[in-house]
Amino acid sequence: MVKTERMQVEEAEPTPGHAWLVGLAAWFIPGMGHLMLKKWVRAVLMGGAVWVCFFVGLAMGGHMYDLTNAQGTSSTLLQVPPMIANLGTGILFIICWLLGIGFGDDPVQAARVTYEYGNTFLLIAGLLNYLVMLDAFDIAAGRKS
Amino acid sequence: MMTLFAALASVVFGAMAKDTARERVMYGVKVFVEFIVFGLVLAWILYFIPWRW
Repeated sequence: MVKTERMQVEEAEPTPGHAWLVGLAAWFIPGMGHLMLKKWVRAVLMGGAVWVCFFVGLAMGGHMYDLTNAQGTSSTLLQVPPMIANLGTGILFIICWLLGIGFGDDPVQAARVTYEYGNTFLLIAGLLNYLVMLDAFDIAAGRKS
Repeated sequence: MMTLFAALASVVFGAMAKDTARERVMYGVKVFVEFIVFGLVLAWILYFIPWRW
Protein backbone atom coordinates (compact mmCIF):
# COMPACT_ATOMS: atom_id res chain seq x y z
CA MET A 1 0.00 0.00 0.00
CA VAL A 2 1.45 3.36 -0.93
CA LYS A 3 1.83 6.06 1.68
CA THR A 4 -1.15 8.19 0.58
CA GLU A 5 -3.48 5.17 0.61
CA ARG A 6 -2.24 4.16 4.04
CA MET A 7 -2.84 7.69 5.31
CA GLN A 8 -6.38 7.65 3.94
CA VAL A 9 -7.10 4.33 5.68
CA GLU A 10 -5.70 5.71 8.93
CA GLU A 11 -7.80 8.84 8.62
CA ALA A 12 -10.93 6.80 8.04
CA GLU A 13 -10.53 4.92 11.32
CA PRO A 14 -12.79 6.42 13.98
CA THR A 15 -11.31 7.62 17.25
CA PRO A 16 -12.19 5.16 20.00
CA GLY A 17 -14.47 6.45 22.75
CA HIS A 18 -11.89 5.44 25.32
CA ALA A 19 -9.51 8.03 23.89
CA TRP A 20 -11.97 10.85 24.57
CA LEU A 21 -12.38 9.63 28.14
CA VAL A 22 -8.60 9.53 28.58
CA GLY A 23 -8.32 13.03 27.12
CA LEU A 24 -10.98 14.35 29.45
CA ALA A 25 -9.35 12.72 32.47
CA ALA A 26 -5.96 14.08 31.40
CA TRP A 27 -7.37 17.59 31.31
CA PHE A 28 -9.32 17.25 34.54
CA ILE A 29 -6.50 15.82 36.64
CA PRO A 30 -3.02 16.52 35.25
CA GLY A 31 -1.22 13.20 34.69
CA MET A 32 -4.35 11.07 35.04
CA GLY A 33 -4.57 10.35 31.31
CA HIS A 34 -1.17 8.70 31.24
CA LEU A 35 -1.93 6.87 34.49
CA MET A 36 -5.02 5.38 32.83
CA LEU A 37 -2.81 4.27 29.96
CA LYS A 38 -0.30 2.81 32.45
CA LYS A 39 2.45 5.11 31.22
CA TRP A 40 3.78 5.58 34.71
CA VAL A 41 6.98 7.44 33.95
CA ARG A 42 5.28 9.86 31.60
CA ALA A 43 2.50 10.41 34.09
CA VAL A 44 4.95 11.30 36.83
CA LEU A 45 7.16 13.47 34.63
CA MET A 46 4.50 15.31 32.64
CA GLY A 47 1.76 15.44 35.24
CA GLY A 48 4.31 16.26 37.93
CA ALA A 49 5.66 19.15 35.88
CA VAL A 50 2.17 20.62 35.58
CA TRP A 51 1.44 20.24 39.31
CA VAL A 52 4.79 21.73 40.30
CA CYS A 53 4.36 24.59 37.85
CA PHE A 54 0.90 25.35 39.20
CA PHE A 55 1.83 25.32 42.89
CA VAL A 56 5.02 27.27 42.32
CA GLY A 57 2.91 29.86 40.51
CA LEU A 58 0.45 30.03 43.38
CA ALA A 59 3.25 30.23 45.94
CA MET A 60 4.74 33.17 44.07
CA GLY A 61 1.47 35.02 44.39
CA GLY A 62 0.28 34.51 40.85
CA HIS A 63 -3.18 35.55 39.74
CA MET A 64 -5.64 33.48 37.74
CA TYR A 65 -8.20 34.89 35.37
CA ASP A 66 -11.93 34.47 35.15
CA LEU A 67 -14.71 36.61 33.78
CA THR A 68 -16.31 37.67 37.06
CA ASN A 69 -14.11 40.70 37.72
CA ALA A 70 -14.20 42.07 34.18
CA GLN A 71 -15.70 45.51 33.83
CA GLY A 72 -17.00 46.12 30.35
CA THR A 73 -16.85 44.28 27.07
CA SER A 74 -13.24 44.92 26.02
CA SER A 75 -11.95 44.00 29.46
CA THR A 76 -13.92 40.78 29.37
CA LEU A 77 -12.47 39.86 25.99
CA LEU A 78 -8.94 40.53 27.20
CA GLN A 79 -9.43 38.10 30.06
CA VAL A 80 -10.62 35.25 27.87
CA PRO A 81 -7.22 34.07 26.46
CA PRO A 82 -5.45 33.89 29.84
CA MET A 83 -8.54 32.30 31.35
CA ILE A 84 -8.41 29.57 28.70
CA ALA A 85 -4.75 29.01 29.56
CA ASN A 86 -5.52 28.86 33.29
CA LEU A 87 -8.45 26.56 32.67
CA GLY A 88 -6.01 24.00 31.27
CA THR A 89 -5.11 22.91 34.79
CA GLY A 90 -8.56 21.35 35.16
CA ILE A 91 -9.51 20.51 38.70
CA LEU A 92 -6.77 22.70 40.14
CA PHE A 93 -8.33 25.74 38.51
CA ILE A 94 -11.84 24.71 39.54
CA ILE A 95 -10.90 24.15 43.19
CA CYS A 96 -9.06 27.47 43.37
CA TRP A 97 -12.01 29.20 41.72
CA LEU A 98 -14.46 27.67 44.17
CA LEU A 99 -12.26 28.55 47.15
CA GLY A 100 -11.35 31.97 45.77
CA ILE A 101 -7.62 31.22 45.91
CA GLY A 102 -5.55 33.18 43.41
CA PHE A 103 -8.48 35.14 42.00
CA GLY A 104 -8.58 38.15 44.29
CA ASP A 105 -7.57 41.62 43.14
CA ASP A 106 -5.25 42.35 46.02
CA PRO A 107 -2.85 45.30 45.51
CA VAL A 108 -0.47 43.88 48.11
CA GLN A 109 -0.28 40.61 46.22
CA ALA A 110 0.16 42.45 42.93
CA ALA A 111 3.04 44.42 44.40
CA ARG A 112 5.06 41.30 45.14
CA VAL A 113 8.24 40.92 43.13
CA THR A 114 7.23 37.43 42.08
CA TYR A 115 3.68 38.34 41.06
CA GLU A 116 4.29 38.34 37.31
CA TYR A 117 6.43 35.23 37.54
CA GLY A 118 3.58 33.55 39.37
CA ASN A 119 1.11 34.60 36.68
CA THR A 120 3.37 33.15 34.02
CA PHE A 121 3.84 29.88 35.86
CA LEU A 122 0.07 29.52 36.29
CA LEU A 123 -0.53 30.20 32.60
CA ILE A 124 2.21 27.81 31.55
CA ALA A 125 0.88 25.09 33.86
CA GLY A 126 -2.43 25.18 32.00
CA LEU A 127 -0.86 25.30 28.56
CA LEU A 128 1.50 22.43 29.38
CA ASN A 129 -1.46 20.39 30.57
CA TYR A 130 -3.18 20.92 27.23
CA LEU A 131 -0.09 19.40 25.60
CA VAL A 132 -0.10 16.53 28.10
CA MET A 133 -3.79 15.99 27.40
CA LEU A 134 -3.20 15.83 23.64
CA ASP A 135 -0.33 13.40 24.15
CA ALA A 136 -2.52 11.11 26.26
CA PHE A 137 -5.32 11.37 23.70
CA ASP A 138 -2.99 10.46 20.83
CA ILE A 139 -1.63 7.46 22.70
CA ALA A 140 -5.14 6.27 23.58
CA ALA A 141 -6.25 6.73 19.96
CA GLY A 142 -3.33 4.64 18.75
CA ARG A 143 -1.69 7.46 16.84
CA LYS A 144 1.37 7.42 19.03
CA SER A 145 3.24 4.81 21.06
CA MET B 1 12.78 31.18 38.10
CA MET B 2 13.80 31.02 34.47
CA THR B 3 15.75 27.82 35.08
CA LEU B 4 12.82 26.23 36.88
CA PHE B 5 10.48 27.24 34.09
CA ALA B 6 12.88 25.88 31.46
CA ALA B 7 13.27 22.63 33.37
CA LEU B 8 9.53 22.04 33.74
CA ALA B 9 8.74 22.90 30.14
CA SER B 10 11.62 20.82 28.77
CA VAL B 11 10.51 17.81 30.82
CA VAL B 12 7.09 17.93 29.16
CA PHE B 13 8.45 18.63 25.69
CA GLY B 14 11.09 15.93 26.06
CA ALA B 15 8.62 13.33 27.31
CA MET B 16 6.25 14.04 24.42
CA ALA B 17 8.72 14.04 21.56
CA LYS B 18 10.71 11.39 19.72
CA ASP B 19 10.63 7.61 19.97
CA THR B 20 13.38 6.23 22.16
CA ALA B 21 14.23 7.18 25.73
CA ARG B 22 17.67 8.40 24.72
CA GLU B 23 16.23 10.65 22.03
CA ARG B 24 13.71 12.04 24.49
CA VAL B 25 16.39 12.86 27.03
CA MET B 26 18.56 14.48 24.39
CA TYR B 27 15.63 16.51 23.08
CA GLY B 28 14.67 17.60 26.60
CA VAL B 29 18.22 18.74 27.29
CA LYS B 30 18.30 20.57 23.95
CA VAL B 31 15.03 22.38 24.71
CA PHE B 32 16.27 23.27 28.20
CA VAL B 33 19.49 24.76 26.87
CA GLU B 34 17.58 26.65 24.18
CA PHE B 35 15.22 28.15 26.75
CA ILE B 36 18.12 29.31 28.91
CA VAL B 37 20.18 30.69 26.03
CA PHE B 38 17.28 32.49 24.36
CA GLY B 39 16.13 33.83 27.72
CA LEU B 40 19.53 35.31 28.46
CA VAL B 41 19.93 36.74 24.95
CA LEU B 42 16.46 38.27 25.06
CA ALA B 43 17.11 39.70 28.51
CA TRP B 44 20.25 41.45 27.29
CA ILE B 45 18.49 42.80 24.22
CA LEU B 46 15.65 44.16 26.35
CA TYR B 47 18.16 45.58 28.82
CA PHE B 48 19.43 48.04 26.22
CA ILE B 49 16.00 49.26 25.15
CA PRO B 50 15.16 52.55 26.89
CA TRP B 51 11.58 51.90 27.97
CA ARG B 52 11.13 55.27 29.72
CA TRP B 53 11.23 57.89 27.02
